[in-house]
Parts: sequence; C-alpha cells; structure tokens
Amino acid sequence: MKGLGNKSVQTAVDIERRYDFYRTVLSILIAFFITIILIFSISSVPLKDLFSFLVGPWQSLYRISNIIEKVIPLLFTGAAVCLMFKGGQPNLAVESAFYIGALAGTAVATVQGIPPAIHFLLCAAAGAAAGAVVCGIPAYLGVRFHVMVLVSSMMMNYIVMLTGQYLLQYHMVDPSLGHVASYEYAPSARLPFLFPGTKIHFGLVIGILVIVFTSILMFKTKLGYRARTIGENVSFAKYSGIKVGGTAILIQLMGGAMAGLGGTCETLGINNRFAYGGLTSHGWDGIMLAVIAGNDPKKIPLAALFLAYIRTGADILNRSSSMPTEVVKIIQAIVIALICAKGILSKREYKAIIKNAKADEA
Amino acid sequence: MMELIFSQAFVASVFRMTTPILFAALAALVQRKANILCIGNEGIMLFAAFAGVMVSAWTGSLVVGFLGGLSAGALAAFLFAYFVLQLQTDPMLIGLALNIFGSGGTIYLMFLTTGDKGSTVGISSKLFPMVEIPVLKEIPVLNSVISGHNLMVYVSIAVLFLVNWLIYKSKLGLRIRAVGENAAAAASVGTNVKRTQFIAIVAGGLIASLGGMYMSMGYLTCFSRDMIAGRSFIGIAAQNLGMGNPWITMGASVLFGIAQALANAAQALRLPTQLANMIPYVTTIVGLIVIGITEKRRDHSQKKAERIQAAVSEK
Repeated sequence: MKGLGNKSVQTAVDIERRYDFYRTVLSILIAFFITIILIFSISSVPLKDLFSFLVGPWQSLYRISNIIEKVIPLLFTGAAVCLMFKGGQPNLAVESAFYIGALAGTAVATVQGIPPAIHFLLCAAAGAAAGAVVCGIPAYLGVRFHVMVLVSSMMMNYIVMLTGQYLLQYHMVDPSLGHVASYEYAPSARLPFLFPGTKIHFGLVIGILVIVFTSILMFKTKLGYRARTIGENVSFAKYSGIKVGGTAILIQLMGGAMAGLGGTCETLGINNRFAYGGLTSHGWDGIMLAVIAGNDPKKIPLAALFLAYIRTGADILNRSSSMPTEVVKIIQAIVIALICAKGILSKREYKAIIKNAKADEA
Repeated sequence: MMELIFSQAFVASVFRMTTPILFAALAALVQRKANILCIGNEGIMLFAAFAGVMVSAWTGSLVVGFLGGLSAGALAAFLFAYFVLQLQTDPMLIGLALNIFGSGGTIYLMFLTTGDKGSTVGISSKLFPMVEIPVLKEIPVLNSVISGHNLMVYVSIAVLFLVNWLIYKSKLGLRIRAVGENAAAAASVGTNVKRTQFIAIVAGGLIASLGGMYMSMGYLTCFSRDMIAGRSFIGIAAQNLGMGNPWITMGASVLFGIAQALANAAQALRLPTQLANMIPYVTTIVGLIVIGITEKRRDHSQKKAERIQAAVSEK
C-alpha cells in the first residue's frame, strides 16, 4: 500500500480498495461453489465432470491456446467498457459496435487486390469507424436531447443487429454457399497467426496495445482526468469548467471505435468469412470484465483470462456431459452481482476504517 | 397498405403488440414513482414467461401455472430489490446481471427439462383463453374491435386502472410518491423508505411478470429463448414518454404497439424482415428524442420567464 512516503500509513481509500479485492475474490469463489452445485445436481459422474471443468482447460497445449483465443476479443470490449463506465457513460451499444465492426471490416476485407498490411489497416479503420458511429449515436442523443443512454443504446443494439443481418443477407452474401455468410476474405486482409498450430492471431498484440492505450488515456491524460471526474461527480465536473457533453461524446466514440476494432480483428483473425448470425455477447462480456477489473483496463487481461478459462471449461463439459454452456452466463451474472454488492463485508470494512483512523490519532 | 392498416386483423394485431409493452411500461412506472430504474425487468419477464409455461405444463392447470409465473417474477424482483436496497449494489449493474441471469438461466433450465435450447415447442402448456364479451356480440363493428382478444389484453387494461388507483388514490401510493420525490423528507415523517421502495420494485416485478407470461402463454404458445426481445426497455421508454402519467404512458405504449404491428404488416408486403422489425426500435428512439426536445423547450421557456420576472422585480 502506498502511503505518504511512509509505508505503515494506510488511508481509508487503501482499506476500501483492499475490501473491493476481498469482495472480488469472494464473489468468484461463491460463483465456483454454485457451479459445483450445478454440476453435482445434474451430472451422473460429478467428480469426473468437475475435474474436466476445472483442470480440463489446462490439460493440453491446444486447450490453453483455446483460452488465449477467447481472451483476444475481450481485451477490446473490456477496455472500451472501462473507459465509458469510468466516465459515467453506461453505453450498452458496445455489444453491437463489436458486431458492426466485424461486418464493416468484412466489407473491406472481401475486396481483392490491396497490398497486405495496408489492406488490414483499411479494414481496421472501417471497423473502428463503424463502431464509433454505433456508440456515438446514443452518446450524441444523450447529450443533445437528454435521451437516456441506457435505453437508447439498448435500442441501438437491436437496430444495428437487424441492419447487419439485412446487409449480410441482401448485399454481402456469397450465393454459392448453402448457408448465409459473406464472400471469402482476401488473404491480404487476414491477420497472421502468432503460433503455428493454434488460432492465436495478431489481434492479441493489437488488443494489448489497446489496453495500454486506454490505460494511458484514462490515467495520464487531461481527457482521461476529465472523463473520470465526470464519472465521479457530474456537477463538480460542470462547475470546474469541464465540457461535460463533449467529453462524454468523445469517450463513447473512442469506446465504440475500440469495440469495432475488436470485431474486425476477431473475425479477420479466426474466420475466413463473416458468418455471425446475430450479436456475439462480447459486449456483455466486456461489461462483466470491467466490473471485475473495477474499470481499470490494466486488470482486464487477467479478468479476461478468468472468463475465457471458465468458458473453455464449460465447452469441455458440454462435449463430455449434458451440461449446457449457458451455465457460464449464470456464473457471469452471479459474479457481477456479488462484486457490485458493496453491502457485503461492509460492516467489517467500516470497522477497519474506524480502527485505522483511531490508530492514526494515537 | 392502407387496406391492411384499417383491417380488423391489424387492430387485433395492435392489441396483441401493445399488451406486453403496456405491462412493461406500467411496471417501470410504479418503480419510477419510487425513484427506482429497474432495467432488470427484462430478466424478470423472461423468468415469468418460462415458469408460467413449465408450471402450467407440469400441473396441467392454467391457474397454478399463472401463480408459478408470478412467483418466479416476484422472486427475481425480490433479488433485484435485495441487492439494490440491502447490499447497496449499483441498480444498473445488478439489472444487467439479472438480465444475463434471466437469459442464461431460462435456457439452462429449458435444456435440462426439455432437452431443447431453442424453445419449449414440444411441451403442451396451458394458454390464456380468448374472451368474447357477451353483450357486445350483438353490435357488429364494436364487437370486432373490442371483443375476442386474449384474456391478458383485458387484464392489462385492468392493471392500468389499478396502477392509477394505487399511485394516486391509495395510502401506499402516496408513500411511494413521497419516497420517490424526496426520500429524506418522507423518512422525516416516519415513512420507511427502504420498505416502500422494496414494495414498489416487487409490485413492478409482478406487473412485468404478467407481460412475460402473456408473451409465452398468449402471444405465442410456447417459451422461446430471449423472447422478450427488449420489450422491457421499450416499456421504460414508453413510461418516459408518458412522463410518469399512467394515461399518457398507455398512449405511448399503444404508439409502440402500432409500430410493432406495422412491422408485422410490412413483412406481409415483402419488405425485408430485418428492416420491418427495426420499426419499433427506431420509433422508440424517435419518441425519446421528441420528449427530450419538448422538455428542453419547457426548461427554456421556464428560464426565460424567470429572467423576465427577475428583470421586472429589479425595476
């Protein structure tokens, strides 16, 4: 704990942080406990299933690479949600920004004959721009017309999903296929794989760069400071001369761009055509990760690793037993609920703060 | 198109589409009066829709199924209330968690009980009956418009009156409004703020449950995954558009109901499904913009009036 030059001094903020950490660990433990109950309640070989859920994901290099693949898109949406939520902007359109980013990237990626690196950059630009627009519309409506961002961004998700499905089915579909999917991506647009034999692609590097960028943006720049001030206290921000509306729109545009970029990287990394039937849930995952990480982008990779691990375990379980993969959603909901429940352990926290203050006085 | 809109089938379609939105809007209204924004109503509606189908199928009784759905919805609302009021959880995040829980939980339970992850189509559950109003049978036009709808359509109108009575005529409603407008003042005259908010959340949850059950036991004949499709959010928008007034809220719900009915009618005219289905969501956003503009204008004229008054009093 950092004190004022003196290691033994701890402030109330330090204690609050420590208790936030306790709550996070406790929530994850409780979620695991409930998962174990769920497994025992429906499995005929519960111990074997429990083992394959908990240990399975680490049992082979292939499965570990599966975990990393799943982490990649979460870095983007997680960072995007951190930025927007920390700035007090509950924009749920990250979900559709990711989807439309993948679709916009696809539109550029199916064009043939552009030199390799430039081709991907163009795709990325298209994806980021599309994502920014999707998150930017509710942001603008919120600032200009006081439309509740929570509701309008939710409506936006449906509108964007339907627009995407329409564009895919009527304008981008490859008619030679038996199912609905776009034309094949030009090889020059695809992201290279980092390790042969796995699907871990270059998106990992871009994702980490996005995390670093968001982290610096939020904690080392004026814009980040303004955004955090707005998130903490809008009135204070207003009276201290911060342009609240402009800042709010800007961070939502940036968040949307990150999510859109994530969609582009994901689809150009692991697929050879666009074939998402609907929204992909990466945005909702991002919200869960931001909650676990306490809106700190630096902690997103670890949180993403956790979610990807559970999901890989659930996939293995789904193949070996009758456990549906939706069990992950249940775990997600429990983790979000418990981490956000500030009332848990609050008495202990309060006592610790009082005790600390008294010790300071003495 | 015009023929389609003025047909009897279209009117019936508007009733069908408006009902779940009206329930969702009234739920949001009761909660809003207590100054609670519960975006978890989506999850509450899903749980109620699923429980209603399953319990009615198991017991073979519509009434027991109905009670099962209500209890499931109430339980979900209770969870929301407990987390928000007792455990000081951010209402938005716990609402999102509840929605994720509702989506995942219902699919999980559906798979365990029916082996299907898409819908409960294979299960013979009970449905709310269609109601013919006896006296109206003799009157030709009125009969075709007002009579012959699903029971829940009439229930939604009854709930509208009930909510109006609850909020403006009952003691509890007075308390709810007092807590919503100024919690500290309400507490100072001895109102238990937390308990009142608790009641408002659960009452809203019960109303939302009715909407959820209508979806799976009237609107459709089975539960299918994520079948609420944002209707609780449209309900919140309708409530916003209604500015907390039950009658205007109903008007807004009908507007969104018409938008959804139009979407269905447009599909019959070979407009691509996706574009047609967008209509209600776009209408919702447009509605919210309109309310935003009018409120701004009102604020503006109020400020202008204040300025003039200040200028006059200075003289």
